[in-house]
Amino acid sequence: MKIMIVDDSSAMRMIVKKTLRLAGFEGHDVVEAEDGAKALAAIKAAAPDLVLSDWNMPNMTGLELLESLGKEGIKLKFGFVTTEATPDMRERATSAGARFLISKPFTPESFKEILGPHIG
Amino acid sequence: MLSDVARRSPAPADMPPLPQFAHIKRAWDDAQQSVVARLLPGEYYVTRHPELLYTVLGSCVSACVRDTRLGIGGMNHFMLPLDGSGGASSWASVDLSAATRYGNVAMEYLINDLMKLGCQRANLEFKVVGGGKVLNMEMDVGGRNAAFVREYLRTEGFPIAAADLGDRFARKLFYDPRSGKVRVKRLNPTANLAVFERERQVSLPAPQAAGSVELF
Repeated sequence: MKIMIVDDSSAMRMIVKKTLRLAGFEGHDVVEAEDGAKALAAIKAAAPDLVLSDWNMPNMTGLELLESLGKEGIKLKFGFVTTEATPDMRERATSAGARFLISKPFTPESFKEILGPHIG
Repeated sequence: MLSDVARRSPAPADMPPLPQFAHIKRAWDDAQQSVVARLLPGEYYVTRHPELLYTVLGSCVSACVRDTRLGIGGMNHFMLPLDGSGGASSWASVDLSAATRYGNVAMEYLINDLMKLGCQRANLEFKVVGGGKVLNMEMDVGGRNAAFVREYLRTEGFPIAAADLGDRFARKLFYDPRSGKVRVKRLNPTANLAVFERERQVSLPAPQAAGSVELF
């Protein structure tokens, strides 16, 4: 399975990657992008099966990325991993088609619980 | 002769904080001739106004950060949870500790709020203070916090413009986000225990208590 991690923080991308491993999701093809715009270009070139995206990022936010994918008709599993999760954000994420929202700081256990059904 | 308006000291009411920082204690300080925002352990603050940011650090660390072009900046005051996990030393290893994940979030809140005000990553200037070994105990809590913040900034590719970390002192810190000037007063070690106790009591909650997942 191909998993894309989108976050402008390289430390956070590293942590998400390691947490995936600690949650038992090993042997997957994990790719990274440092903002929404770069992720969109990479997804158009070769779509992953699952996107784990931060919300606040320069150039293009996580929500704008999800909305752009919708406009382009690109269907994939998409969830947010973010520090901020206001009711308004949850509402916008849901209506844009996000499958889940994981608040930071997360644990390997929460990754296991929420990503299990999405990662084979 | 100065007009009444010019003579009046600027009050915090004239410089409303960003909505998310309404709880931060701010007041005019005669000695500093400035409005001063006082941060407690676990708090962070970002401002566009001409004001000083102040805190007292024991084993905690503060990252002082500003956009050098916009003069907008902020500061946090955090410690890694005292959960006995590996902390900064395990950053690069597979054994990723809860403490490291938690410290990362403390930094991310501060940086995200600056980005939302139009700050650019490339223009951010970081100064780091604190992490004193304020207690005579085997575990160097302050050293762990100091190592974390250094390692975090290295991983993120942010150079450290100035640092006053470690040693055996608690510190009083004033930060001016407009100029980037940091003033540190090292406190007499007799204050160490009191400062540490306050930090321990009101610091960030344990990581297992924070964070949540939500299925849509």
